[in-house]
Amino acid sequence: MIERWALVSGLKGDLDTYELIQKDLKKTPGNITLFVLGDMIGPEKNCNRLLHRLINPKSNDLQPWCIYGWWEEQILLESGYRGDQRAEALRINKGEEVVNSLTNAVDKSFLDWIAALQFGFVELDCGLIHGSSKDVGENLTLDTPPLTLLDRLTRLQVNRLFTARSKQQFHLELTEGIVNSEVEDLNGNRKKEQKVPQKAVIGIGAGKNYTLYDVGTDNTQFVQAGYKTEKKIKGFGRL
Amino acid sequence: MNQAVISCLHANLPAVEAVLKDIELQGITNITCLGDLVGYGPQPNEVIELIRDKEIPTCQGCWDEDVVDGLDACDCSYPSQLAEKRGHFAHKWTTDKLTTENKDYLANLPYSIRKDKCLFVHGSPNSQHEYLLPDMDAFAALERVENARAEILFCGHTHQPYIRELADGLIAVKIKNAVPKDTQEKEIQLPMRRIVNAGSVGEPRHGGTKATYVVHNDVTNEVKIREVEYDIELTCKAIIDAGLPPIFAWRLKNGFEFAEQAEDASHVCER
Ligand SMILES: [Zn+2]
Ligand SMILES: [Zn+2]
Repeated sequence: MIERWALVSGLKGDLDTYELIQKDLKKTPGNITLFVLGDMIGPEKNCNRLLHRLINPKSNDLQPWCIYGWWEEQILLESGYRGDQRAEALRINKGEEVVNSLTNAVDKSFLDWIAALQFGFVELDCGLIHGSSKDVGENLTLDTPPLTLLDRLTRLQVNRLFTARSKQQFHLELTEGIVNSEVEDLNGNRKKEQKVPQKAVIGIGAGKNYTLYDVGTDNTQFVQAGYKTEKKIKGFGRL
Repeated sequence: MNQAVISCLHANLPAVEAVLKDIELQGITNITCLGDLVGYGPQPNEVIELIRDKEIPTCQGCWDEDVVDGLDACDCSYPSQLAEKRGHFAHKWTTDKLTTENKDYLANLPYSIRKDKCLFVHGSPNSQHEYLLPDMDAFAALERVENARAEILFCGHTHQPYIRELADGLIAVKIKNAVPKDTQEKEIQLPMRRIVNAGSVGEPRHGGTKATYVVHNDVTNEVKIREVEYDIELTCKAIIDAGLPPIFAWRLKNGFEFAEQAEDASHVCER
């Protein structure tokens, strides 16, 4: 049986979309593992029903494996789970009202569950995270300098990094990397040519846009919940 | 013009005086210090006052930060519990000894200093506690310099001086699932960048006993590692007299080979 991962993020309390995805996945062939890469909550909607469903899956639901995202980090900050810090970046950028909407959107009884979520998963040689291995809030996109992407891959010691924060869907392969290093110290000189094997960074999308990953063939499929159409994404534009 | 870069003075006054003398003899007036003025050594106030007196621009080192803010680096900074215990003892001794004025001076030091294409930091642009070891992953090393928008990154903290040149780099990328097909692939040339570690004036850990620092010529771009002899006995006696752990004196006298550092150089303290 084909081993597939479904990678979802940015549901922000949207139970309808989550149900649509669950329905899609029932029709998707293969042995599917469902990963929810953060932002299960957000300030726009009441998130309690979705959180309840994620924690207590229906009998025919695929079990979701969740990590925390940027919005979870904000509510944990604001609720005192990160020491003296509060969600100041959110407060400054979006205002007090959004901070209040967020804390009102999530019942306090869910906070311990959110606080126990991991920063990311490492499966096979793949890292599954919300932002980057450096920061939950870091956007990785097609425009991120490849050197930065390589660093974020190296930090987790993985060959593939699945990221959600940018909301974009893309599959960028780093097909070749080479750099010459020469070190001089008090013992003399040494030269080394360093190469990197093929690596990739995959943007999984957000909300209705999610990604199917075929573990055996390393192929991605960008899907919209309910439509089941593969979306093609844009290239670099004119070079 | 030549500039001298010094780091990790660690309250070792005879070593600092000898290095400043060596710099002066070469006619160099442009000096930058990468921090760790204190810690381990017996003369923290004297070293700070000398640097202040000479108005040498200085970054904040890991020790300078910790004696002001309290020990907030994780235990990864030490290779063993014994080393950690000694480190904590030296930390407390230094904190008790420092004058309020000198503590304020350390508290207000900048994390980094930028001069044209040169960036000066203590550990790395990410953290005062990150070790940029000479043989760390070349791409990760290049990323530290590039992300900091510098051409030469001067750092210390490892106590082992080195000059590393990263050149002829290239990364090829390809978009899978893309349209149109003709814009799927590109190659990015990476710029030549250098990392220069200034070693340590007051607590050398390169296997020898001499104080080390570097001289950079900004016209020829040449960097030289300098080794300077100083009166080690004088510092060792002061360590013992101050009641600091005798192993600190033993280390200076015998030339310790290893920095007391985490095994994983890419590790950044969770703080
Ligand atoms: Zn040091
Ligand atoms: Zn240091």
